Amino acid sequence: MTYTVVGKPLGQVEGPAKVTGAATFTADVILPEMIWGKVLRSPLPHARIVSIDTKAAEQMPGVLAVLTARDLPDTLTGRVVYDTPVLARDQVRFIGEKVAVVAAEDPDVAEDALALIEVEYQELPAVFDAEEAMNPDAPLLHPDYRSYPHAPEKFFSELPNVHSHVTWQVGDIQEGFAQAQQVFEYTFTTHSQHQGFIEPHASVVSVDSEGRAHLWISNKMPVRAQKLLADAVELPQEQVVVHPVCIGGDFGGKGSLMDAPLCYHLSKRTGRPVKMVMTYTEELMAGNPRHPATISLRTGVTDQGKVVAFQARVVFDSGAYAGFKPVPIVNIPGANSAAGVYGTPHVKIDAYSVYTNCVPSGHVRAPGDPQVTFAVESSMELIAEAMGIDPLEFRKRNLVQDGDLLPDGHRLEHVRIRQTLEAAIESSNWGKPKAHPHVGRGVAASYRHIGAGEANAEIRLESDGTVKVITPVPDTGTGAHTVLQQVVAETWPLPVEQVQVEARPELFETDSGAGASRVTYVVGQLVKEMTEELRASVCRVAATALECQAEEVVFEDGHYTVKGSSDRTLTLAQVAEAGSGKPELSIRKTQVNRDNPQVTTFTAQVVELEVDPETGQIKILEVVTSHDVGTIINPIGHRGQIDGGLIQGIGFGMIEEVVMEEGQVSTLHLGDYKLPNIKDIPPLKTVLVQEEIGPAPFQSKAIGESSITPIAAAIANAVYDAVGVRFYNLPITAEKVYRALRERDSNGE
Amino acid sequence: MASEKTMTRTIRLRVNGKEHSLEVPSRRLLVDCLRYDLGLTGTKEGCSVGVCGACTVLMDGQPISSCLALAVFADGKEIVTVEGIAREGKLDRVQQSFIDHGGFQCGSCTPGMVVTARALLDANPNPSQDEIKEWMLGNLCRCTGYYQIIESIQGAAGEASDA
Repeated sequence: MTYTVVGKPLGQVEGPAKVTGAATFTADVILPEMIWGKVLRSPLPHARIVSIDTKAAEQMPGVLAVLTARDLPDTLTGRVVYDTPVLARDQVRFIGEKVAVVAAEDPDVAEDALALIEVEYQELPAVFDAEEAMNPDAPLLHPDYRSYPHAPEKFFSELPNVHSHVTWQVGDIQEGFAQAQQVFEYTFTTHSQHQGFIEPHASVVSVDSEGRAHLWISNKMPVRAQKLLADAVELPQEQVVVHPVCIGGDFGGKGSLMDAPLCYHLSKRTGRPVKMVMTYTEELMAGNPRHPATISLRTGVTDQGKVVAFQARVVFDSGAYAGFKPVPIVNIPGANSAAGVYGTPHVKIDAYSVYTNCVPSGHVRAPGDPQVTFAVESSMELIAEAMGIDPLEFRKRNLVQDGDLLPDGHRLEHVRIRQTLEAAIESSNWGKPKAHPHVGRGVAASYRHIGAGEANAEIRLESDGTVKVITPVPDTGTGAHTVLQQVVAETWPLPVEQVQVEARPELFETDSGAGASRVTYVVGQLVKEMTEELRASVCRVAATALECQAEEVVFEDGHYTVKGSSDRTLTLAQVAEAGSGKPELSIRKTQVNRDNPQVTTFTAQVVELEVDPETGQIKILEVVTSHDVGTIINPIGHRGQIDGGLIQGIGFGMIEEVVMEEGQVSTLHLGDYKLPNIKDIPPLKTVLVQEEIGPAPFQSKAIGESSITPIAAAIANAVYDAVGVRFYNLPITAEKVYRALRERDSNGE
Repeated sequence: MASEKTMTRTIRLRVNGKEHSLEVPSRRLLVDCLRYDLGLTGTKEGCSVGVCGACTVLMDGQPISSCLALAVFADGKEIVTVEGIAREGKLDRVQQSFIDHGGFQCGSCTPGMVVTARALLDANPNPSQDEIKEWMLGNLCRCTGYYQIIESIQGAAGEASDA
C-alpha cells in the first residue's frame, strides 16, 4: 500500500518543547508555596521497628511536618497486589524501605532533618536468595499475604515466600520426555538491572480547599495512578485529579505511585503543595529494577535433533514487595516465552515469584524476556554442541511454525522466524573467515507478543477545523502521540498539522496507559475506527449544509463539495460551524482488547566480537539486528525503539548490574552503576523483514520490546565462539571473562 | 549542617543574555539556582553526581555540570541554558536537527545534549564521528542508543550557529 502520512519520518509532536526546555516534567512543576518532602530509609534488611523519635527533627527551623506510619491510615498499596506500606509500620523488609518523611521549605533542610530522626530497630533473620527463601526454614516475610487486597488466589503456593506460582503448559511433559532419546539440564542466573531512565521518579501533590488531591507524577498509567492514590490515602477516586506531564523515560518502571501518597499526606498536614523527587541513589536502592532470575531448563531431544520436551523452572527474586508488578498474575509474564522461538510439542514452564529481603523488583522493558532468552538460547548451543549438530541447523529444525500452540495458549499466524533468522545470518559475517583468533560470532532469537489492554479516546472536530484526539496516554518518549496523529491524518485524510493530540488523563476513569507495546495497537486501532466514525458524521453535517445527500459529498484538498459540482465548498472549519453543538462531532469511546493478537513479532540477532585474552575485555565489532515488521508508521520512532532497546540489552548483557550483597546495594550512583555511553555503541546493521501483516493500524506491529531481548544470549554465544568459555550468568563483564580464562588456563587446558 | 545559620551571598549572573543579581545560600547548587531561583526548569537534574550530563549548561561557552557547581562559583559568569539556544522564537539548527533525526525520545537528557552539541559545533563546525563521541561522552541517553544523536549532530554540522 502507499500512504501519504503513514511511513513519513515525522519528528515528534513534542519536539519543539523538548529541545527548548519548555516541556514540563514532574520535577519542573513549581506551585506557589510549594514545599519539599524527603524520606528516611531503613538501614537494615529485616527488622522490627521498636521506636521512632522525631522530636528533634520537628523542632528544626524550616521543618513543617514529620510523619511516620502512626500518622497515616493503615493502608497498603501496589500496582496490582496491595502489599506495600506507604511508610513501614512496625517492620522493615529491605534496606531502603521508607520509615519516616519530612516536609520542609527547602529540600536541603528536609534532608538535614532526616539525620535527627532516631529509630530503634530489632534485627530479624533475613533471606537474600529466592531459592533459599523457598526453603521451609526461611523467615516468612509476609505471613498475611493471602489476605492482601488483590492477592492472586489462583496462583497461591504452599511454598514459603512464594507469592505467585504460574504454570504454562502445552502437550504432556511426561509424554514428551518419554519420546526423547537424550535429556539435557542446565541452570542459568541473571541479575538486577535498573531501567536507567534519566528522569528519577517525582511526584507533586496539592490538596485544594475542597479536599481534592491534584497530582503530577512520573507515571505512564496516570488514570490508574488516580485509582491507586485514592485507595492508598482513602479518598474517593473522583477526588484525585491527575495533571498531564511528560514522562522522562519509562522502560516499564514508571507505573507505581512511589512517593505520591507521602506527598498527599504532607500536603494535607501542611496545607501546602508538596514535591518529592527521588535522587538517583534512591532509585538504585529502592526503585523497581529488573527481576533477578534463576532459570533451570530440562530439554528432551530425539536422536534426529528434534526438541520434543522442554521444562523450565524460573525463580524470580521479587524482593521485599510484589507491589511493583502490574499484571494480575503478580508474576513475570515473559517467563512464558522460556521455550524460545521453537515449536516444541510438550512444554511445561513453572514461574515462581518469591519474596526476599532485597530491593523490590518491577517491570523493565520486555519483563522476563531477556532473562529466559539468555537461558534458552544458550542451552540450544550447548545441546547442539553435545549432539554434534551445527547450532544454527539445530535451531532451524525446531523453529515454531504457523499453527503451533505456544505455552501462553496462543496459536500463532504468519510466523516469520525463519525469514527473520536467515536475514540476520545473511547480513552478518556468519561462516566467513575471521580476522583475528579471538573473534567470535553468536546468534540468538526471540519473539514477543503485541500487548492487549483497555484503550480510551475522545475525538472531535474543533471550531478551527482541526481534528483533536484526547487521550489518557501520556508521552513517555516513544512518540505515541505522533503515531496517533499520523493514524488520524492518514485515515481521514488530512494534513498532519490539522490533527492535534492532547493528553488529558484526568478526563478518564479507567485506562491501561502505556506499556506492553500496546499503544499503537490498542489505542491506534480505536482512534482509527473513531476517525472513520467522526469523518462520516462530518460528511453528514456537510451534506446538510450543502443541501445534498451524504453519498454525494466528496472531500478533496481539504474541502467538502457536492460530487460533480464545485460551486459550493466547505472547509472543515465551516463544517464545524454548521454543525456547532451537534453531539456527533465529538465522540468518546472505550475498547478492551482482552487477548494478545495471534500475529506476533520475531527478532534475530548476530553479534561479532573480539575478546582480549589478556584483560577479558570484550569489543563488539558488529551487531546485526533483524526484525519482522509490518507497515512502519513512523520510521524515526520505529528505529529509535530498535536502537535504544538494543543498547539497553547490551547494557544488560555486559555492563549494568545493581550489585547487592546481603540486601545492600553497592552501586549507588550512576558512576558505579554504568549505563552504556556514546562510546559503548557498536557498528549496527538493522534488517527489516517487512510484510504488510500486523494487527495494529495499517497492518503495523509492535517494536518497542524486541531488540532488547536476544542480545545478551548472542553475546554469550559469541564469547564462547571466541574463547571457548561458556557463561551461565550475566552480565558478562571483562572481569568475569578474565577470571574464567585464568581459571581455565590454571586447569591446564 | 542544621544547627549552623545559613550563609548567603549576593551573586551576579548573566543567564541567556539577561543580568540577574540574587542572594543565594552559599551551598546553593547552580542547577537549583537556575531551576528554582530563576525558574529555568529546562535544565534537568538526573544523577546529581556529574555523570549523566542532563544538567549541562554553558559557562563562558564551556559545558559544565550544573549539579556539581555551586551558584556562587558562577558569580560574574555568562551562563547559557537550553532556553537560551533558540533565538527570537526560531530553533537553532542543532535543535531542529534533533527533531528531524530523532535525537531524543523522552527528552530528559535533551537539554544537556542540545547545549553540549551546540558548544561542540561552535568549537568544531565539522566534527568527525569520533570527535562527536569524544565530546558527547559525558551525556547519557537511555532512549535512543545514541545513533540518532550522532546523526542529529552531523545533520547540524557544516555551518556556523545562527547566533
